Amino acid sequence: MVYIASWEEFVERSIQLFRADPQSSRYVMKYRHCDGKLVLKVTDNRECLKFKTDQAQDVKKMEKLNNIFFTLMARGPDADISEVSGKEQAEQLASKKGRGRRQ
Amino acid sequence: MVLLQLDPFLNELTDMYKRNTEKGSVWVTLKRSSMKSKAARNKVKNVDELEHCCLVRATDGKKTISTMITPKDQQRFQSSYALVLKAHMKALKKRERKDKKKAADGDKKEGEAKKSKKSDAAPKPAQ
Repeated sequence: MVYIASWEEFVERSIQLFRADPQSSRYVMKYRHCDGKLVLKVTDNRECLKFKTDQAQDVKKMEKLNNIFFTLMARGPDADISEVSGKEQAEQLASKKGRGRRQ
Repeated sequence: MVLLQLDPFLNELTDMYKRNTEKGSVWVTLKRSSMKSKAARNKVKNVDELEHCCLVRATDGKKTISTMITPKDQQRFQSSYALVLKAHMKALKKRERKDKKKAADGDKKEGEAKKSKKSDAAPKPAQ
């Protein structure tokens, strides 16, 4: 399996992959301190998407992806991830506004 | 496989990262799970009827720990987990921007220069 070079592509495709089959998809993060390497993998046992980095700046991106997957997995594949995937500002705005349907 | 509560899991994960700094890797897997056996799952025809949580597993190849995240705990776990990661992923390379690097080097040299010789290390006086 080759690594995907573009972060955006990796995120997009991995979310697609998960939504296509939430039951058998998993998201693995491997961190190797001695080599300073971080590998992210999303797979449903048929297709495998991988992303590799050694850059500290990618940790933030990874956190965002973590949050997306936490949301998708704990709340369901149809959960709204615009809050977690967008910028923090957007998140704050959204929480202030709230969802119209409540009440 | 040990199924832990959220906070013990985070503590164990921290230990695991500490144990594997010299050598070794740590894997953390997130998976959607109903925590039911396959037989029990097959009885329920509609998959959507099953309650789902996010299963988090961590291993270093020797020991495996896991925890369940319910939608209720998700926000809290998410942020503490991010903190643990941030605290331990320090071997990654910092961004190498040329101007930034120069500035950092310059600072260092200035600091050293003050200790030793001023003229050698800091040829240009700061404006």
